[in-house]
Amino acid sequence: MPELADRPPSAAGRRGPKIVGFLCDWAVASQGLVRDDGTMRDLPNVTLIKIPCSGFTRPAWLEFALRNGADGVFVCGCPLGDCFNRYGNNLIGDRVEQLRRRLERQKVNPERIGALFYGKHAGAAFVDAVRAFSDRVAGMPGPAFPPRKPAPAAAGPASAAPRTGPAAQDGQAGAPAGREGT
Amino acid sequence: MYKRLLAGLLAATLRVDTLVARVYPDDFNPLYYTGGLANLFLTVLVLSGIFLFLYYTPSFDQAYTSVQFLTLDVPYGQIIRGIHRYSADGFMIVVLLHLFRNWFTERFRFSRDEPWISGMMLLTLTGFIGVTGYMLVWDQRSEALVAMTANAAAQVPLVGGWLRHALFGGTGLTDLLLPRLLFLHIGPAVGLYVFLWWHYTRIRHPKVWPPAVWTLFALGFVVLLTGLIPVTSQAPAVVSQRPQTLAIDWLFLTPYWAMRFLPPLVLIALAVVLIGYGLYIPYQLPETRSELGLKDSGVAQVIDANCTGCELCYYDCPYNAIVMVPSPNPGVTKAAQARKLRAVILESRCVECGICVGACPFEALELPRLLQKDIHEKVLSACQS
Amino acid sequence: MTDRASAYVLWIVVLAAVSLVCTAGIVWGELTGHHRLGGALIGVILLAYSFILLCLRKGGFTSV
Ligand code: SF4
Ligand code: SF4
Repeated sequence: MPELADRPPSAAGRRGPKIVGFLCDWAVASQGLVRDDGTMRDLPNVTLIKIPCSGFTRPAWLEFALRNGADGVFVCGCPLGDCFNRYGNNLIGDRVEQLRRRLERQKVNPERIGALFYGKHAGAAFVDAVRAFSDRVAGMPGPAFPPRKPAPAAAGPASAAPRTGPAAQDGQAGAPAGREGT
Repeated sequence: MYKRLLAGLLAATLRVDTLVARVYPDDFNPLYYTGGLANLFLTVLVLSGIFLFLYYTPSFDQAYTSVQFLTLDVPYGQIIRGIHRYSADGFMIVVLLHLFRNWFTERFRFSRDEPWISGMMLLTLTGFIGVTGYMLVWDQRSEALVAMTANAAAQVPLVGGWLRHALFGGTGLTDLLLPRLLFLHIGPAVGLYVFLWWHYTRIRHPKVWPPAVWTLFALGFVVLLTGLIPVTSQAPAVVSQRPQTLAIDWLFLTPYWAMRFLPPLVLIALAVVLIGYGLYIPYQLPETRSELGLKDSGVAQVIDANCTGCELCYYDCPYNAIVMVPSPNPGVTKAAQARKLRAVILESRCVECGICVGACPFEALELPRLLQKDIHEKVLSACQS
Repeated sequence: MTDRASAYVLWIVVLAAVSLVCTAGIVWGELTGHHRLGGALIGVILLAYSFILLCLRKGGFTSV
């Protein structure tokens, strides 16, 4: 981790920025890329969560991750236009854009949220893109959210049930408008 | 074996994609729009076909001369005729690309068999329409095609004579032949649209048109080709004389070429087997998600108490698996108090993609074995590791 | 403007010039009855427009 030295300490400091990635089952094949605990072989600071389609991701989950100590989050789907489920990646692409705009108004650097699009056999390119994303996030100061509330990060799995982000709803109001964006 | 072959073909397909992506951005990749391109060619075919229809006379003594008049004397008539011919070839090419691409990328899986089945029927109809089109010109090739088809049809056991009568209006060349062929060219073309409707019923927001870059490219290529290689007729058909040669259009007339080597009955059997296998493809790999090594998340479920009837999931479900029905009672949450509609999942259509979960802003949809709670737990454990 | 973008501008200018020449060719073909030539040139123009659109996109002048 070359960025280790010059990086200000943050919630999950010691191995580089903590990154959570949502990876579609049909996109990059994860065999050989991840360890058993879900972290990436080449980038131990990145944890991948497998989901059935990139369009399954609720933007509120990305915000949830940032509020709970992740320094960056991304979603990875197939190349735009080649979604196994036809439009899942276009939809999440648009929703990520909307989430970025909304979080930017809350003084969160929008570059902390990424949308990547790599096909099944594009593992190497995917790793490179994640590394670039991770390096970019590493250069950003401090935790994702300005610490106004005392430690939401302390919430354990048990107390983490539905009510999470206060803004879980308005973030998607425009979602269907993007459905023809191909 | 088949699975390994399919995996190899998938890898090859994706490699072709990455090659195309070096030149064209992802959203311009023509291989993502083979269906839209087929629609483009079909539209061109219908429009140019109407023009040709206005000039065509379906009778033995005038069919050939009317086509010649159109080709040689009507301004741009040859161009329009060429557009019709080459668009038909283009249509067949993109339809085959569409077929193979969706086959190799396994887009027949789960509940996606209906587009596949209707697609096979569209393909069969397309081949039939192409052949009758070549017969209408009534040059020597047309005559040969009619003779060979009638001969082959008559050999089908039990229904042979009837089949031949249905196609050509009797034995030998009757006056009914060309009017009947004209109908057999245009009628199934209308039928294409019926099957297209079926092809689309389970698809939300089908990509019915290619991007402008490819609309222009396809039209330009077809028109340029008509200028460079003009379409002509062969010598007129002479009824008393058996035609000697048969110029082959490989996309439509390959079976007639094969008739040189195989008896017609074998070819008909082969065609039946091919079409039958095509219809069977989606059922050949009836694998569930867990058999594929994927998490079996279960069919999406609406949490009725939270649903506000906002219709967002209904717009975004790619397979039309969600319908909005009038709601007899309000929901439980505050946002759901004033609802008029509520979402209902048609479970047989759901492929468990979860796109509706991402679409619902009111936490009213869940995949039963991959709940929001599970995702939250995974995120938290990832953040705390 | 970056080098890349200006290269695409160059291509766009060339393609536009080609389509202009083709237009002249179509008019000439129409006047002298060379319909086939006119038809072929329509095809060339459409192809040129297709590549102009591609260059506009790749040069970053139009977005998705
Ligand atoms: S999971 Fe949702 S979006 Fe996907 S097919 Fe089922 S109902 Fe439609
Ligand atoms: S998106 Fe959610 S709230 Fe809206 S209709 Fe669908 S299930 Fe109901």
